[in-house]
Amino acid sequence: MPTYYYLTLSFVLFLVGTSGVLLRRNALIVLMGIELQLNAGNLAFLAFSRQLGDQKGHAFAFIIIALAAAEAAVGLAILVALFRSRQTINLDEASLMKR
Amino acid sequence: MPFNLRLIPLMPFIGATLLMLFGRRWKRETVVMVACLAVFFAGLVAFDAFFTRLPEAAEAGGLTDNVWTWLAVGSGPTGLHVDLAFRMDALSGLLCLIITFIGFLIHVYASGYMEHEPDYARFFAYLNLFCGAMLVLVLGDNLPVMFVGWEGVGLCSYLLIGFWYTDNANADAGKKAFITNRIGDFGFLLGIFLLFQYSGTMNFSEITSVAQSGSALMQPFWLGQPVAFWVGLLLFIGAAGKSAQIPLYVWLPDAMAGPTPVSALIHAATMVTAGVYMVARMHAVYLLSPAAMAIVAIVGALTAAFAAIIGFAQNDFKKVLAYSTVSQLGFMFAGVGTANYDAGVFHLFTHAFFKAGLFLCAGSVMHAMSGSGDITKMGGLRKRIPWTHGVFFICWLAICGIFPLSGFFSKDSIIAGAFATTVYGPAGMAWVGPFVGVLLVLAALGTAFYMSRLYFLVFTGPSRADAETQHHIHESPFVMVGPLVLLAVGAALGGFIGIPGALVEHPELNLIGHFFEPVLGAEMMVPHATEWAFMGISFALALGGIGLAYLFYGGGYREPAHQVAFQFPRFVALVRDKFRVDELYDAIFIRPLRKLSEWLFKLADRIIIDKILVEGVGMVVDVFGRFARFLQLGDAQRYMAAFAIGVAALVFFATRPPAPSELKVSVEGLSVQVDARRAGRQSPRELEYTYDFDDGREENQTAPEIRHTFRQPGKYTIRVTVTDPRWGTSTVVKRRVEVQ
Amino acid sequence: MQPAVGDYIVFGLLAAGVIGGAVFTMTRRNPVTAVMSLVGTFFALAATYASLSAHFLAIIQILVYAGAIMVLFIFVVMILNREEVAPVALRGLGLRSLGVAAGIYLVIIFARIVRVNTPSDLPVPSETFGTVASIGDILFRDFLYPFEAISLLLLVAVVGGVVVSRSHKKEVAAEQAAERRKIVEELQRHDFPALADNAAEPHGSGGHH
Repeated sequence: MPTYYYLTLSFVLFLVGTSGVLLRRNALIVLMGIELQLNAGNLAFLAFSRQLGDQKGHAFAFIIIALAAAEAAVGLAILVALFRSRQTINLDEASLMKR
Repeated sequence: MPFNLRLIPLMPFIGATLLMLFGRRWKRETVVMVACLAVFFAGLVAFDAFFTRLPEAAEAGGLTDNVWTWLAVGSGPTGLHVDLAFRMDALSGLLCLIITFIGFLIHVYASGYMEHEPDYARFFAYLNLFCGAMLVLVLGDNLPVMFVGWEGVGLCSYLLIGFWYTDNANADAGKKAFITNRIGDFGFLLGIFLLFQYSGTMNFSEITSVAQSGSALMQPFWLGQPVAFWVGLLLFIGAAGKSAQIPLYVWLPDAMAGPTPVSALIHAATMVTAGVYMVARMHAVYLLSPAAMAIVAIVGALTAAFAAIIGFAQNDFKKVLAYSTVSQLGFMFAGVGTANYDAGVFHLFTHAFFKAGLFLCAGSVMHAMSGSGDITKMGGLRKRIPWTHGVFFICWLAICGIFPLSGFFSKDSIIAGAFATTVYGPAGMAWVGPFVGVLLVLAALGTAFYMSRLYFLVFTGPSRADAETQHHIHESPFVMVGPLVLLAVGAALGGFIGIPGALVEHPELNLIGHFFEPVLGAEMMVPHATEWAFMGISFALALGGIGLAYLFYGGGYREPAHQVAFQFPRFVALVRDKFRVDELYDAIFIRPLRKLSEWLFKLADRIIIDKILVEGVGMVVDVFGRFARFLQLGDAQRYMAAFAIGVAALVFFATRPPAPSELKVSVEGLSVQVDARRAGRQSPRELEYTYDFDDGREENQTAPEIRHTFRQPGKYTIRVTVTDPRWGTSTVVKRRVEVQ
Repeated sequence: MQPAVGDYIVFGLLAAGVIGGAVFTMTRRNPVTAVMSLVGTFFALAATYASLSAHFLAIIQILVYAGAIMVLFIFVVMILNREEVAPVALRGLGLRSLGVAAGIYLVIIFARIVRVNTPSDLPVPSETFGTVASIGDILFRDFLYPFEAISLLLLVAVVGGVVVSRSHKKEVAAEQAAERRKIVEELQRHDFPALADNAAEPHGSGGHH
């Protein structure tokens, strides 16, 4: 398929992930949305990599996956700590701001 | 001819510095030693320069010392070049001698007079500082250096008048002196600036040559008067402030609040004469404007007469002497104002001796009377303090103008010169000379009267003091009497340098006249008849004044005095209250100023600064903060949303092709000219335009302008689609048009 | 070369899987369901990668993402299993919806731009494109430094995770002791010494005060 199909797919996937990040209340779901965003980026990398015939894109995507793993681990650890301290992972309740 | 003139003011400055830094820890003897030696060495250098070096250099402009370049701005005729430079010629040399000699005597006297003063070191430090500043003033080779000295002596005057500052009255007197002086300084500065603008220099010898050659200073400036007039007038305002002439004399009587040695040195012998010195220095400029000279002479003469009258009714010893100083300064100004420069400076010289002597006698008398200066309670001191009496006797006769004491010669030459002067021309202003002369004659009469009144009330007749005070009357110690005697000698013999020898076919006897020739020009030619006449008249007036005073006050208050006080109580009170000039100034100037400053305080300080600026700034910050607070959400999700909105906006504006808000269409018959540029400018991007002319025809091209001819008249809607091929975005613009 | 009909169908199916799975994930209330559907999305994505001739990465996607990361998510979901009442956060909903709208606009614009600016014919990748050997080659030659850096990053992440999620037993115990003391004081003030005794020593018999 022409590259721009995959790119458009990547954009829409990113949009879905972002909407989740922006709109959801459960922190776990938000983290999952972030994973979707990262994967959308990966898809774009691979599409361009195929078009240009350059494997460096693959290597980069590989690095991104490793990065996502690290980030997920730390993010979940923070989430656990948040739960311990506030007894909730509901972002509305956990927030200390006035409004 | 170069010479180390800088040593002369430097010595007292070093003395002052040492005393200010270490004086407090030194013993009295050390302090006195340092102070007196400083002035003494300055005097040595001055005398050496004056007597051994100056005679050779006199014709060539005297001794000079250029210490360093002070200001060097620009070049050529509009440039300013001022050096810290000193010059000793006949005029400044004579004044140096006066300052150092009399200054030294007064330092010695003060060591005895201020014996019980705890703040010893500060006093002598200030005295030294004053001597240094005064020497800078007279030795300065240009107006700025002189002004530095001018301000310096003004400062020292303030410091010394208010020496016993813990008493408010003394501090007020110091302030009054300084502020009144400042008013004069304003005029002085304006004069300097004006002079510089028209002559291009501030150096005295250069100014003299500019004035004497060429017409630079004769150009009309304002009100039809030439530059020289205004310069002379403005400079005289400065002189009037410093030398206590009308209307700026009011500080001098109040200045008697300071210690008596201060009054003697500063307010009799030296500082107050700075104005006369300055006018004499600028004689070349004054000679260009008889009008300015007339003002100087008239003001001087009026002051002389006016102050003399006030002296009739003063009851404080020092106040009488203060008004006497004002009056005598008036004489000096009348002298220089009538172009009789030699006479004016001559009187400055003799006055320094006898007035300093009189003031130091005042100190001696007050010392004897346990600190009081009230002459209504004195009397009969002739026998109790003989040395003081002797000195006072001589100085008194000198100031009255009794032959052959110094005052006779100097006063006489001024009076004679006033009548004989030709500087005002034969025309409209010729009355000035005689007018001034008459005033001076009256002033001389008055001088004799009030000084004699002082003598009789203090030294003759029975004592009017109470028993306690009488018991304590004693002669002053040698350290005070010594200088007194020396001053009396000077007062007695000083006149002999200015004998009008021309009258007896020995013109060379007039030492001072010849002496000043290189600096002040030739002496005034007074017809012999006038000279003899006024010598006689002066002497007669002196005797008359003394006699009249004897009638009133010989041996104490006598019948005529009581009669006058009884008949004219209000007039006597008015005179005693110095014609209430201070009260007048207070009403006209001081109270309105105070009201104005209070009003300004309320307006500017409270409202503008406190409310608007200070609190206002706070309020602005607060308001901004309130708004800015909305941006600080602390919520990552909302931040991200804002981020997305921002990016979307950026992308929108970056990719939108610049299409005009309104298509520019010009109609000519059946043709239209369409311009699809935005703001009439070509876009840098490459855009594609699709024109749809609503009659079935379309055009695609890359040019933003097109011409199209319709086949039929009617109403059409022209649609232009602007496409940016790079982004694939497009905008559409429409316009309805009617074609006929 | 133009894509064949089969290509379109395959792409369509894969795209539907990806997007559908993503949307499904984002709209679930139950976190477990969300995780499961995310796993499904990842599988679809892996297939998409394969259709892009990125075979190695497809496998890695399944192994690492679906296999490891999602397992981690499941663990955490197990610890914190709670149901939501309303899935959408309420704070500042307007701004965030506007953000989503901006995102939609951006997708549209970018899609258009991309379509105009990329070539529309299919590239033909080489034989060794996407194989393990060639990727390994790149990773250990051109991308050696990032490779090592990422391993360091993983170490940091592990340490960080452990540190952050450490249980603070001692601090918690201290806090609880402080709480108890406060209650004891209150009770004593209200003159209930018996109850205070009880509160001070919750386990054994009453001790001394």
